[in-house]
Amino acid sequence: MFCGQGWAQSLFASVLILCLLRPAVTVKHENFKTCEQSGFCKRNRAYADRAATLGQSWSSPYTLVSDSIKIKSGHVTGTVLKSLKGDTAESVRLPIKITFLQSGVARVTVDELKRQQKDIELRHGSSARKERYNEASLWALVAEDKPDTSANGESLNQETSVNYGPQNRYRAVINHKPFSINFFRDDELHVKLNSNGLLNMEHWRAKVDKAEQMEGEEPKGEGEDESTWWEETFGGNTDTKPKGPESVGMDITFPGYEYVYGIPGHASSLSLKQTRGGSGNYDQPYRLYNSDVFEYEMDSPMTLYGSIPFMQAHRGDSTVGVFWLNAAETWVDIVKRKVSSNPLSLGIGGTSDTETHWFSESGLLDVFVFLGPTPKDVIEQYSELTGYTQLPQQFAIGHHQCRWNYVSDEDVKDVDKKFDRADMPYDVIWLDIEYTDGKKYFTWDSHTFPDPLGMQKQLDDHERKLVIIIDPHIKNEDNYPVVSELKSKSLGIKDKNNNLFEGWCWPGSSHWIDCFNPAAIEWWKSLFAYKSFTGTAPNTFLWNDMNEPSVFNGPETTMPKDNIHYDNWEHRDLHNINGMTFVKATYDALIHRDSPVRRPFVLTRSYYAGSQRFGAMWTGDNLAQWSHLAASIPMILTHNIAGFPFSGADVGGFFGNPSPELLTRWYQAGAFYPFYRAHAHIDTRRREPYLLDDPYKEIITQALRLRYALLPAWYTAFHAASISGAPILQPHYYAHPSDEAGFALEDQFYVGSTGLLVKPVVTESAETVSIYLPPNELYYDYSTYSIHHGTGRTTTLAAPLSKIPILMQAGHIIPRKDRPRRSSGLMRYDPYTLLITLSPNATAEGTLYIDDGESYNYEEGAFIHRYFSFSENTLTSTDIDDAMQSNKGKKRRDYLNLMDQVRVEKIVVVGAPREWVGKKSVKVVEDGEERSVELGFTRGSGGRASWAVVRDPGVRVGRGWRVEF
Amino acid sequence: MRTLEAFLLSGIAVRSILAAEAPRPRGVGPEFAKFYKSSDTFTCISSPSIHLPSARINDDFCDCPDGSDEPGTSACAHLSPLSPYTVGSTPIGDVNTTLALPGYYCKNKGHQPSYVPFTNVNDGVCDYQLCCDGSDEWAKVGGVKCEDKCKEIGKEWRKKDEQRQKSQSNAAKRRKELVAEAAKLRQEVEAKVLTLQTLIRGEELKVKGLEAALAEAERQERGRVVRKPGVGGKLSILAQLAKDRIEELRESLVEVRNQRDMGKARIAELEAILTTFKEEYNPNFNDEGVKRAVRSWEDYAARDKPAIGDDAKDRDLVEIAKPDSETGAIKWSEWDEPEEGDVDVLYKIEAYLPVPARDWIDQKLRDLRSFLIENGVLAPSMEASSSKEVEDARNALKAAQDSLSNNQKQLDESNDDLGKDYGVDDVFRALKGQCVSKDSGEYTYELCWLGETKQKSKKNSQQTTMGRFVSIDKVMVDDELPPDGKGLGSGERVALRYENGQHCWNGPNRSTFVVLACAETDEVWKITEEEKCVYRMEAGTPAVCGAAEKKTEKSKDEL
Repeated sequence: MFCGQGWAQSLFASVLILCLLRPAVTVKHENFKTCEQSGFCKRNRAYADRAATLGQSWSSPYTLVSDSIKIKSGHVTGTVLKSLKGDTAESVRLPIKITFLQSGVARVTVDELKRQQKDIELRHGSSARKERYNEASLWALVAEDKPDTSANGESLNQETSVNYGPQNRYRAVINHKPFSINFFRDDELHVKLNSNGLLNMEHWRAKVDKAEQMEGEEPKGEGEDESTWWEETFGGNTDTKPKGPESVGMDITFPGYEYVYGIPGHASSLSLKQTRGGSGNYDQPYRLYNSDVFEYEMDSPMTLYGSIPFMQAHRGDSTVGVFWLNAAETWVDIVKRKVSSNPLSLGIGGTSDTETHWFSESGLLDVFVFLGPTPKDVIEQYSELTGYTQLPQQFAIGHHQCRWNYVSDEDVKDVDKKFDRADMPYDVIWLDIEYTDGKKYFTWDSHTFPDPLGMQKQLDDHERKLVIIIDPHIKNEDNYPVVSELKSKSLGIKDKNNNLFEGWCWPGSSHWIDCFNPAAIEWWKSLFAYKSFTGTAPNTFLWNDMNEPSVFNGPETTMPKDNIHYDNWEHRDLHNINGMTFVKATYDALIHRDSPVRRPFVLTRSYYAGSQRFGAMWTGDNLAQWSHLAASIPMILTHNIAGFPFSGADVGGFFGNPSPELLTRWYQAGAFYPFYRAHAHIDTRRREPYLLDDPYKEIITQALRLRYALLPAWYTAFHAASISGAPILQPHYYAHPSDEAGFALEDQFYVGSTGLLVKPVVTESAETVSIYLPPNELYYDYSTYSIHHGTGRTTTLAAPLSKIPILMQAGHIIPRKDRPRRSSGLMRYDPYTLLITLSPNATAEGTLYIDDGESYNYEEGAFIHRYFSFSENTLTSTDIDDAMQSNKGKKRRDYLNLMDQVRVEKIVVVGAPREWVGKKSVKVVEDGEERSVELGFTRGSGGRASWAVVRDPGVRVGRGWRVEF
Repeated sequence: MRTLEAFLLSGIAVRSILAAEAPRPRGVGPEFAKFYKSSDTFTCISSPSIHLPSARINDDFCDCPDGSDEPGTSACAHLSPLSPYTVGSTPIGDVNTTLALPGYYCKNKGHQPSYVPFTNVNDGVCDYQLCCDGSDEWAKVGGVKCEDKCKEIGKEWRKKDEQRQKSQSNAAKRRKELVAEAAKLRQEVEAKVLTLQTLIRGEELKVKGLEAALAEAERQERGRVVRKPGVGGKLSILAQLAKDRIEELRESLVEVRNQRDMGKARIAELEAILTTFKEEYNPNFNDEGVKRAVRSWEDYAARDKPAIGDDAKDRDLVEIAKPDSETGAIKWSEWDEPEEGDVDVLYKIEAYLPVPARDWIDQKLRDLRSFLIENGVLAPSMEASSSKEVEDARNALKAAQDSLSNNQKQLDESNDDLGKDYGVDDVFRALKGQCVSKDSGEYTYELCWLGETKQKSKKNSQQTTMGRFVSIDKVMVDDELPPDGKGLGSGERVALRYENGQHCWNGPNRSTFVVLACAETDEVWKITEEEKCVYRMEAGTPAVCGAAEKKTEKSKDEL
């Protein structure tokens, strides 16, 4: 399904028919631009088409001036000249800087001299900045990584070559004329910039009045169509474009790579599709322009709420990546070309090149190249650059219950009690916009929420939290102090005439806080103080919605591009970052609110590269349909491999009423979302899981309890993500980078490094699922311990409603807590179970990370981080962070003392060797003391693995010990 | 009452406390003490084949498939169908793993003992509501200290309990009053039925008599032929009147048609506007008013449109609206001539006879005419005005019939009422028509017993009917009873169904399910909108106190 024009029209027709029967349930295409309706998209595609038509005779007009090249301490600088054809003799000077970072990443930045020097004139007397936007890195990157001073290069014959990276394994070869860069790893070409000559920096030019030009006459100059240069109108909104055409585009080719992943967020497949038409392909580029898309459609390159312009290319045993750092509207075209290494081989042994074409409406050309060689390496490098996922509080990875809306404090208390009565664990209950007094944030509706603190006290009694929504639109109403201050302190986003922008959102007439302004962030922080925002308590956390920003009466439901932000940047330049600045402000406000400081929790709908540092995201307003449940898996996987693993989809589907079966399957799938929240639209029926009848209710409770039992493994995976960027859900290509048959797999995944392989059921009335198992791997069924051998083919697993298909890859040790509790906070001191899945050669390993789940004391060593290994019939627990051992700070000592009461109560060994049949005990060695502990062995039968249980080894989870079998 | 009530121990159990000398293991209730007597081995309660050393009782590791070895810890809390199943989670193979114990036994000295779910044991939270002695947190995990609060909680509870019992006895008293009131009301209805039955019998006779009188008067009347004064041109006058009237109608028809055409054009324009509005409005605004408007428009558009502007009908209309002329549908001139009727001919003959003969003939003719009419040979003359006698007789009959049917209706209603379900002991009869209301958020909700449920806005005077009473029902509830007793608690409760309230945008007609529990006074406790426009009220009333138990004995009393 893709957006062909004819197809779109017939869709409209069917939408109209549907509308007469029920409320609209499909995205309004006419509200969002196609490439043809976006001037620079059309221009850049036309540029690419012209190049393609000319073929070999096309030559890129960009030249790196050899004399300008300077190579020093990890940098190459110089000037690229864009030669202009036709009347203008002068060429455009484009300063270029290529940086080779210590992390092995290469960064290519190209600016435009005239704009850089503000040597241009803006139309309409605009007060906007004249430069190309050069501050995206301030927001997206954690720190300018240090240049790799050992990088060495030389220029020779119109070519500059730089060796860099670990052991100088990488090489960048810069061709001067036409300008292009080829990146090699171990002398093999992996990434090509501008090899197709699609580099296009639309330089500044004055608008020439072409009134004298006769009708029908060919336009002069470069023969370009200027119709979209100076003004664009869409949906009744006119963009005045005071800076004229400013787009920046380039082709990036991955030779020999057939698979590309990333560039969320889209409701698309994990393996990105081609976008230039053809069977099974899209005919629109993937678009990145953060938008509030109402009831979005499946399998579409259409833009959604957030943008991460990070892409990986993958082939057997090699992964590379690029990060296109630009905050303006961006589109990405993808074409895969079969190239045969041997023309006689007739496709056999042939490879594919993936050619991508990126273009943004304004700003710098700023590209980062990652050379892998594994998906893990690429994601780690990207994450090091843009920051790691925040280590969330423990509660944040529990089960969240949301609804638009819980209508009163009594309602919230009632739902809370009913979860307990149903023995269903949950950690967080959420309030959508209706808790406010007339959609005025930082207020409570005094009729419906007369006692918010009493409500939060009840939640806190069981260590539960409240999350409330606060959006960036501030109601424009008299006697509302928040808007008065926003106005008087001039902290809002301005319109093109530099007056406070006024638009329409939930509250009606509203203004928008401009979080690009440091003063706005300071002010925002003050609003969250407990004495300022009365009715909030330390267990109140935040949800930032509508931060694309959503403006109901704006073009494409967002802000006019010629709006002006702090420091006079145009909204066009930084649109995709806007949502992140707002979340960052809220994050900062929560840091500021509590003393001693605790980890904030903020959920965001809009995001950009770097947003992972501030909290969780969800996939926005989905529908209660099986297709949306199915789509949630590749969407979440894409975020996991794009540096933003703390992601989820609304369990149950936001719009519409799910059948009990769909809801049950969604709770089962959601138990494996990193962010596990049920949410529902105001027009839907109540669907808190305790309202269902058995067997649904019972099965959902099992799913919830499974999530909670595995929380130690989840928290460990989150910790790994927070120090390395590792995906929390790993798609097949990530876990098995050489298994080509699984590169497009997007409906099964591993949980962190636990070896838990999950294939959620996403179809109606399923009794079985097919799961692909890679060759030479051994798996055990999670609940029956039945044995499955990977053969590189799919195998069928039973999946009645009561069962989530989960396999355990042999060779792992999974930490678990088996005692059901009311919330994750009440499991803090419960003993652990270690689940060991022995590999065929009887080995296994795993890790466990624990801290207080709340504070930053872990930064001072107040944590436990263990490495478990099983080999030669011995299970050993060792401390991972030996360096931290030397940190004998008080906080560490106190924490370890506190946790010394927590033990391992059970060790389950799946795939236990047959020799253990007669074994009755094992030897436990802890702190130099030995003791004998009972072992129970159960022989496997009927395709099941044998398993053994160590009865209460009693070893402390925070200490070193070993168990000898 | 509380949840405690569910776990209150029987007298037998309390006696066994005294009997058991040896201290029970932690968390074991007295009724299970017998399983824990042996000092060296323990036998799993539901799996007698499994014997454990006594040291394994409460060693915080789950050995028994039924959890009975861990009465005082949370080690077996996972033994439940609500837990995810794995073969390794049960200690021994595929054995039935239902928990043998109801929970952790809190002695609660100074209050009443109770069981706490195993999931709550040693989780760091003092569950005082169930375990006032704080013993559920004996392991002091994370340093939690739950001091014994049974003294104060017990005192408070006894105070509340006293109040509750007082309140209950008041409620029971009040119910008695209501039942008495209802009985009185019922008697009144029954008395009314008797009165009405008597009345009706009398009225039936009266009607019969009056019918006969009227028939006679009419017979007389039909025969009387009185030549009325006036010209023979009666018909031509009528024709003239008709002509004027038709002309008048024709003119207003033309006028109305013009107005209709204008209206039609405006509707078309309006529909076009709404069609565009429907397609272009932004559903994201979530403006309730806009959504309602769209919804109503959709309903409107989906309905069968009455055919205004059928071309054929329009042509007919044009034809009809033409003024009548010589060539038109009616030739009025034809109706100007006087005409003679059958009676006129008679009178003409009569004129030649002498007076006595004329009288005789007149009488005979009258009889004959009556005879002919009565035998259906001749049509009765349809006179516009009848004589006063007939008129009087007719009026008298009509009055009597009206009175009869009115009483009949009242009788039917009263009989229906007596047959209707007013709940056990007819108790709701005493409440019918009374209302109670409750403020909740920006609304005041009103519950009228066996009437309507309503939502009234505090901001404006807008009222929404949330349902009309349909039936008395029963429902199972399982709620925690708040300390003040103002809640549903657990068990079967009386419920009232209210349906077919005001229609909801994008939803059903509003309905309310009113669940009732015993209380001293009539009061609404809680209103929730369970799903879109489906409301649930929880209310207290003495009417339902002890309803279930009294049913049988009361009906015996009545017999």
